[in-house]
Amino acid sequence: MVMIVQPEPSTLAHYAVTAGNIPPIATQIYEGLATYDWDQNPQPNLATSWEIAPDGKSITFKLREGVVFHNGKPFTSADVQFSFMEILKKYHPFAPLLLAELTGVDTPDEKTAVLLLANPAPYLMKALAGRDLPIMCKSVFEGTQILQNPSANKPIGTGPFKFGQWDRGQFVRLDRNDKYWKPGLPYLDHIIARFIPDAATRSAALETGEAHFAGYSAVNYADLARMKTNPILDTTMKGYEMTPALSVLELNAKHPPLDKKEVRQAIAYAIDRKVILRDVMYGCGKPATGPLSSLFKTVGFYTDDVRNYDVPDRLKIANKLLDGAGLPRGANGMRFGMHLEVNSFGEQWLRQAEYLKQALAIVGIDLTLRSEDTATWLRRVYTDYDYDINEPFLSQGVDPVYGLNKQYLTSQIRKGVTFVNDSFYANLEFDGILNEAMREQDHDKRAVLYKKAQQILAEDCPLVWLIDVQYVSVFNRKLHDHTTGPLGTQQAFERAWLET
Amino acid sequence: MLEGFARFARNRMALFGATVLVCLLLLVLLTPVIYPDDPFKLAGPALQPPGGRFLLGTDTLGRDVAAEIAYGARTSLIIGVGATLAAIVFGAVAGGVAGYYRGRTETVLMRITEFFQTIPAFIFALLIVAILSPSVSSEIIAIAAVSWPSIARLVRGEFVSLGGREFVQACAGLGASDARVIFSHMLPNCASSIIAVGSLLIGTAILLEAGLAFLGLGDPNVMSWGLIISAGRAVLRSAWWICTFPGIAILLTVLGINLIGDGLNEALNPRLRER
Repeated sequence: MVMIVQPEPSTLAHYAVTAGNIPPIATQIYEGLATYDWDQNPQPNLATSWEIAPDGKSITFKLREGVVFHNGKPFTSADVQFSFMEILKKYHPFAPLLLAELTGVDTPDEKTAVLLLANPAPYLMKALAGRDLPIMCKSVFEGTQILQNPSANKPIGTGPFKFGQWDRGQFVRLDRNDKYWKPGLPYLDHIIARFIPDAATRSAALETGEAHFAGYSAVNYADLARMKTNPILDTTMKGYEMTPALSVLELNAKHPPLDKKEVRQAIAYAIDRKVILRDVMYGCGKPATGPLSSLFKTVGFYTDDVRNYDVPDRLKIANKLLDGAGLPRGANGMRFGMHLEVNSFGEQWLRQAEYLKQALAIVGIDLTLRSEDTATWLRRVYTDYDYDINEPFLSQGVDPVYGLNKQYLTSQIRKGVTFVNDSFYANLEFDGILNEAMREQDHDKRAVLYKKAQQILAEDCPLVWLIDVQYVSVFNRKLHDHTTGPLGTQQAFERAWLET
Repeated sequence: MLEGFARFARNRMALFGATVLVCLLLLVLLTPVIYPDDPFKLAGPALQPPGGRFLLGTDTLGRDVAAEIAYGARTSLIIGVGATLAAIVFGAVAGGVAGYYRGRTETVLMRITEFFQTIPAFIFALLIVAILSPSVSSEIIAIAAVSWPSIARLVRGEFVSLGGREFVQACAGLGASDARVIFSHMLPNCASSIIAVGSLLIGTAILLEAGLAFLGLGDPNVMSWGLIISAGRAVLRSAWWICTFPGIAILLTVLGINLIGDGLNEALNPRLRER
């Protein structure tokens, strides 16, 4: 089976680098303690059962018997302990958030691992999959430099496929793990992950049947319409239920008049999200209604009962708000000028910026676009704070803790750290709600807190939420059972099979 | 000079080039009348094929491709001419000083010129624009920075050959200052070669600008042919017109300017006069 991964990962050190292009390969090799069903409930995987202590401060995992790593070593609680404490907590980029409460892992016997927590961490139960918290083999890493370990690019895990070969610039070959613990699986003998830098060639590889699967929007959105008419291909939007992402505008509240709530709201009213969705995103997604992706609806955290910026008379409201903020139109019809930093991660962001300039001009805001290379752009926005409006793309993780905390908590105004609170949003009442929600064990109470949080954010409008992004997979109709859960391309193709 | 222009007028290819350029200039002058709106304005539905309400169709955001090309022509000409003028001024000064004073001055200036010539022009231009942050002025600076060495070498060569002539020595002997000799006597004598090479440089500069904009290093606030092509590339197979028309515009403009350059070269270069 040939899948397209775009772009080629720079490393396969899945435990230390979070980039969207690593998991499609790495999750074939590394597994997690649990996996998730379509309702996003954790299901047994490397752990067969678990129990959360009544005070929420420890989670006891019973581990599966008869699991061996690709190097022949049996999987035990020592591997869990080492993976969590020595690798993930120290090197995983999300650890400061996901594993902040983790104080230790007890191993009463070979098949029991107890995660000890300083405070309850309900969100941890959403992050046990191989994509988020993979389990590595202790004997491979012990006593070595974790980041320089040879297995970084020749991963050794427990998964259905073993690492075969990496021909840089061409492909990664994965081979069937004959000793996989699920009897009879996997069905495929090999997976080839191909790297094709040119978008047109990627599309052609699928159209000719040379490649069978392209997930995570590896195919240019503009080509999707044509591919949908191809008889050998099909598309699906499934498999991204646990990969929420929003495209947004960050507004620098240190730069007047963006310090005024009314001005920020006016910007949110002035934009027609449907145009961006249709002409920039080619329909892949839906207009964002607030700070959380609607994918959180499944788990009950999402609400659209917030200030609605997508109303028929939105332009009138925007103009009124700007007039009320003491920003009358000048001789040229403009009220004030601002710079928009163009996201440097691809063409579509320049198109979006061009649209935004037109949309804001209608209400009298004169945008000047500034496009710089990635390093300069990130430094200007997140280190120098020398920006007015920025148009990033925010991944929201598996729990609201991830997407909301890092973006809006006062404590996340961290100079020099990318994709955190750079809009200087500081609201103590809001901080309190988020911190309470982080530790609350009762799911319904958490949902109430997050609803309140979303309402406050939508009212204060520190960011403008544009599109609730929907990724698309394109696949050959001969490939079956490729998307078997909400993690889609970011979990193993253990049940996938190819018609011959 | 007049005789030169008569010769130019007899060159049919050069006349064709001149016609293209005149049409382009007319287009640039008339653009504000034909398309009074911002070329970035969303004029209608996206991806309309040419021939309907929009002469050359609309692009992925629903902007009028014809308006984009008209405004792009202005950008191309401003940057092409601006960068070439900057390159000529800088190149002529560097080459002139080197060729007039010779000796150590010449060695230093010419080594610097050669240093610039060894760097691949397009990559160097990319680097300069990336450092200065993309804008019309940084594009002019970048293109001028990669174009001046050829002018410098040309002018130096001309100056070296003029330096020994009697009229130059006579001027110096009569006590004329260096500046007077350089500007009043030597530069006018190599003007024809500078004009010929400079006109060719405009074509190269327009191509460079289109390349920079194509790679996303153009000024994002200014419409340009490279930008239209880069935006249309994603839909090349379903909406051919977005890339095709600006491509034709670039082709005709650069071809026209090159033909004019060749014509001027033949008309003004004494060695080619007899052909």
